[in-house]
Amino acid sequence: MENITKIVKTFFITTLLLWITIFSGCSSEKKELYIYNWSDYMDENLVKQFETENSCKIILDFFDSNETMYAKLKAGAAGYDIVFPSGYMVNVMSKEGILLKLDHSKIPNLKNLDEKYIEFSLDKNQEFSVPYMISNTGIGYLKSKVQENFEPSWNIFADSKYKGRMTMLNDMREAIGAALKYLGYSINTTNPVELEKAKNVLIGWKKNLAKFEADQYKNGLVSGEFYFSQGYSGDIFQVMTENKDIRYAIPKEGTTLSSDNMVILKSSKNVELAYKFINFMLDGKVSAQNIEYVHYLAPNKEAYQYLSDDIKIDPAILMPDHVLKRCEVLIDLGKENALYSKIWDQVKSAK
Amino acid sequence: MKFKNANEIKISISSLIWLTLFFVIPTIIVVLISFRNSDPSGGIGVGWSIDGFADVFNPSFGMILWRTVRLSLITTVICLSLAMPVSIYMAKAEEKIQNWLLLLIAIPFWTNFLIRVYAWKIVLHPEGLVKRLFLTLGLVSENASLLYNEGAVLLVLVYTYLPFAILPLYTAIEKFDFRLIEAARDLGSGQIRSFIKVFLPGISQGIISAIMVVFIPALGSYVIPDMVGGPDGEMLGNKIAQRVFVDRNLPKGSGLSTLLILAVILPGLIRVVYKKIKPISATPLNRKINSYLTKSKSKS
Repeated sequence: MENITKIVKTFFITTLLLWITIFSGCSSEKKELYIYNWSDYMDENLVKQFETENSCKIILDFFDSNETMYAKLKAGAAGYDIVFPSGYMVNVMSKEGILLKLDHSKIPNLKNLDEKYIEFSLDKNQEFSVPYMISNTGIGYLKSKVQENFEPSWNIFADSKYKGRMTMLNDMREAIGAALKYLGYSINTTNPVELEKAKNVLIGWKKNLAKFEADQYKNGLVSGEFYFSQGYSGDIFQVMTENKDIRYAIPKEGTTLSSDNMVILKSSKNVELAYKFINFMLDGKVSAQNIEYVHYLAPNKEAYQYLSDDIKIDPAILMPDHVLKRCEVLIDLGKENALYSKIWDQVKSAK
Repeated sequence: MKFKNANEIKISISSLIWLTLFFVIPTIIVVLISFRNSDPSGGIGVGWSIDGFADVFNPSFGMILWRTVRLSLITTVICLSLAMPVSIYMAKAEEKIQNWLLLLIAIPFWTNFLIRVYAWKIVLHPEGLVKRLFLTLGLVSENASLLYNEGAVLLVLVYTYLPFAILPLYTAIEKFDFRLIEAARDLGSGQIRSFIKVFLPGISQGIISAIMVVFIPALGSYVIPDMVGGPDGEMLGNKIAQRVFVDRNLPKGSGLSTLLILAVILPGLIRVVYKKIKPISATPLNRKINSYLTKSKSKS
């Protein structure tokens, strides 16, 4: 009981403090910027730097999936100025008409963007969105389990030596995409013949998998349960500090890239400050500091020179051109998604 | 439902409201959604259709349904056969021991279900103690995993639902008059025969409750096959999750849920019908015992 009263007390006090901060914020002259972002996705020191430089206050709020964020905005959550949706979600939101058409004259630092990566953006002219970070899908593995000259390929999943100790993402587009890439096809193909071939490859791989896993593979790698896991770069970089044996590699056949972007909502009450913030994030030095913090790549030409050496040579962050050429961005296929669902069902039920 | 008096209504009104709000209405919504068109952006489309049930003709559906029913049935059988001796022992034990045993059965519930499943993942971990032991005994190979197969799913299912089987059985057995067995033996019935003909019918309500509280939730399993099952271990619950979260097709997910609801309601209906047509005391042996007991009572 004592614990419960304690919890209730703490809850009340924090809520009270929260209200006080919110209202005291209103009464002061300071301008406010409300940012809705993924958690752990921005160096907080940069937030402070921007606050001092522009004598304003930034309020951060976090979401854990594009769908949650979109649902919240659709349900009428107002007050956010800048949001960080993934590429396909930018399309959904711009179709919905809730994004501000960007005035490029207010973001001079747009010139810093790396054209090489803009190719992968679904909004190539930055009409509604500015690329923030690029992440990729690859293979996390235990170095002690592979030979010295290990060359990562998606076909590692065909190696029955590791049967039962490998996982692939429980995500139909990523898993089928890996098989498509291995065969040299596009990950956005709607060609039934190509998909059929990919299905057969994936069924072959499946026999060696412990499971299709979307999240717990991180812990599996840390505890040595899994030797090879298809996973997201940022996820695997996160757990590398917990187990020094973990490595990350992008398969030579290429992989999927995804981008998160900065957008300004039409309902923003502080558009000028929002433009300033986006421009600030595109600054070379700021961007470099942010890359060092989140371990994803901000596609910013000016930033690369400021990066520390181990980030600069990390092929999983700054990808070599020949790998990059083979990478693609997943496009939401709308109705055609059913093609993938069908194959995914067959893969899952195949013996 | 018939209410005998106003008091009965007063007592049940709160649970009725609760059930209506959080069970009946949501269930109806799910059934309704299953007859809607889907919307490629993940919502519910306009108009009505039966596409939500298209999965029934999907060749993988039969396999998943069969796996779901088979695993649930095996779980029920194992749980009941383990719970029976435990419950008999508990019912016959001294009250003090009884209370301790009940506490021991309840203790796992103090820990969150997910955490208990995680604990199994640690127990069965490929670098864990059990695996090491098996490895030393030469039962498994170095790279083998005890997790992510049907055996692991079954083990955790039985572990999870065993207490639910013990409690109703224990309650029924505790009320059972063991003199009936003595009476049957006196009348010349063998040990096995009196167990089957007298004991089991006597606690039939407990057995039916135990079957229902194990079989029905097992049918809807989602977390267990997801966490300890392999790439082949999908159950109906996982398919529903895939339809909703991955395929973003709410009507199809609802269609599968509706089928599951039907499958769950069916045993309940059977029970109601069964109760109506077969009063328990009607077997010849029971009749004999009853008359025997009445006689011995009137004598004393």
